[in-house]
Amino acid sequence: MFRKDFQLAWRDRTGWLSAFAFAAISILVYSFAFDLAATDVRPLLPGVLWTTFLFVGIFANGQSFQREADAGTFDAMMIAPVSPSTIFFGKVITNLVALVLIELALLVLATMLFDTVLLTAELILVVAIGTTGYVSLTTLLSTLGSRARARAVLLPVLALPLLVPLLIAGVRATGVALDEPVGSAPWMLLLSMFALWATVGGALLFPLAVER
Amino acid sequence: MSAVATQTPENCPAALTSVLRGILALFLWATLPLYNARWTLLPALTGVAMMAMLVGAVIAAPREVIEGDVQRLMYIHVPSASAGTYFAFLIAAASSAAFLISRDIRWDAVARSAATVGVLFTVITLATGAIWGKPIWGVYWTWDARLTSTLVLLLIYTAYLLARSVAGPNDEQAARYSAIFALIGFLDIPLIHFSVDWWRTLHPQRIIFDPRPAVPGEMLLVLLIAFIAITLLMLWLVALRSDTEQLVQRTDRMRARLDQREPA
Repeated sequence: MFRKDFQLAWRDRTGWLSAFAFAAISILVYSFAFDLAATDVRPLLPGVLWTTFLFVGIFANGQSFQREADAGTFDAMMIAPVSPSTIFFGKVITNLVALVLIELALLVLATMLFDTVLLTAELILVVAIGTTGYVSLTTLLSTLGSRARARAVLLPVLALPLLVPLLIAGVRATGVALDEPVGSAPWMLLLSMFALWATVGGALLFPLAVER
Repeated sequence: MSAVATQTPENCPAALTSVLRGILALFLWATLPLYNARWTLLPALTGVAMMAMLVGAVIAAPREVIEGDVQRLMYIHVPSASAGTYFAFLIAAASSAAFLISRDIRWDAVARSAATVGVLFTVITLATGAIWGKPIWGVYWTWDARLTSTLVLLLIYTAYLLARSVAGPNDEQAARYSAIFALIGFLDIPLIHFSVDWWRTLHPQRIIFDPRPAVPGEMLLVLLIAFIAITLLMLWLVALRSDTEQLVQRTDRMRARLDQREPA
């Protein structure tokens, strides 16, 4: 299952590449908009990084099942003797790996652009846990199906309010990792709770979402 | 809303399903008498309670010494926030769960109506809060934890209504999808609450609100009446709305059957 998803993702590498290009452009847009070159970037950086992560995630994950639905292999997959949870985790793990790679590349880019060391173990852990949370949620929501015409607009509207806790916790945990004074709440715990909640909820509800 | 179909979704674990079904039975048992009285007792009770609430809030309750007459908004604001908003969203989430278990499309109509009414009361809550906030706090809006989580809740259920409205009233797949979303949105509430609470309350620039002073007995009594009135109003609106939605579903089905019989 995972191998199939990885193969699909690899075949769709232009899609992922454009997701990365989108992310890089947004970092540049933020730099121009907030004049990140001239001012001290450290207080703004967590917010810039996490909004970029979320937008890229929704942009990329919205198409999770599009290719399969278009090719008609989605129904074949549903008939195949694997549980829907396996299908869900296959997709989540593939999306997770691809997005973490994109985010690491972004961190390298931001390190160079803003002259701030971003590739620390703590920060990578924050990014990986946060990504797990939003990938599970957006993968579940991306099953809206090709039938809904308004899906491209609807998915961010649906996903972003649910992702508010993740955004807050991710920004704050990143701030902690960058030694910013952001208060002492257990942000990592909240981030992990969200990731766990989204993954368990996704695994339980995904079978209901894709049932024919 | 009669019997719950007994068909079990294949992929649901049996224990979870039976627990959910128990909760559903409890929910039915609690709301069914009111639902059955929706054309007789419920509107009458709602009218009397609303009248009592208005008289109480405008005339009977004493004028607040510091805040003045604007404080009377509290009698609508507080019940709208709790009974109107959270209770309605609880009904929406419970009916969504009921739909996922029973696959009876009528539960989808109930969930949609409860979400609509909940959104209405959330707007009332935020609006009365803003009107009250301007003279008392000096601002219409502040990023306080409670205000923020109410706003996020409004966004979630507006998104739910949007997602549901892209498909027809009898679209089973869209109903299933939005039921899942309503459920997830409701389960998200504790996480949202904790996050915005820590986000604001532990933040260095904390805005300190005065701790609630002791409330005199008359005010408390009016508030209690207002609670009852708003709860009844909410339930009545949900019942009316879900009746309408179920009629829409029926007409839609009839029309589809008619189209099948004699192709135009």
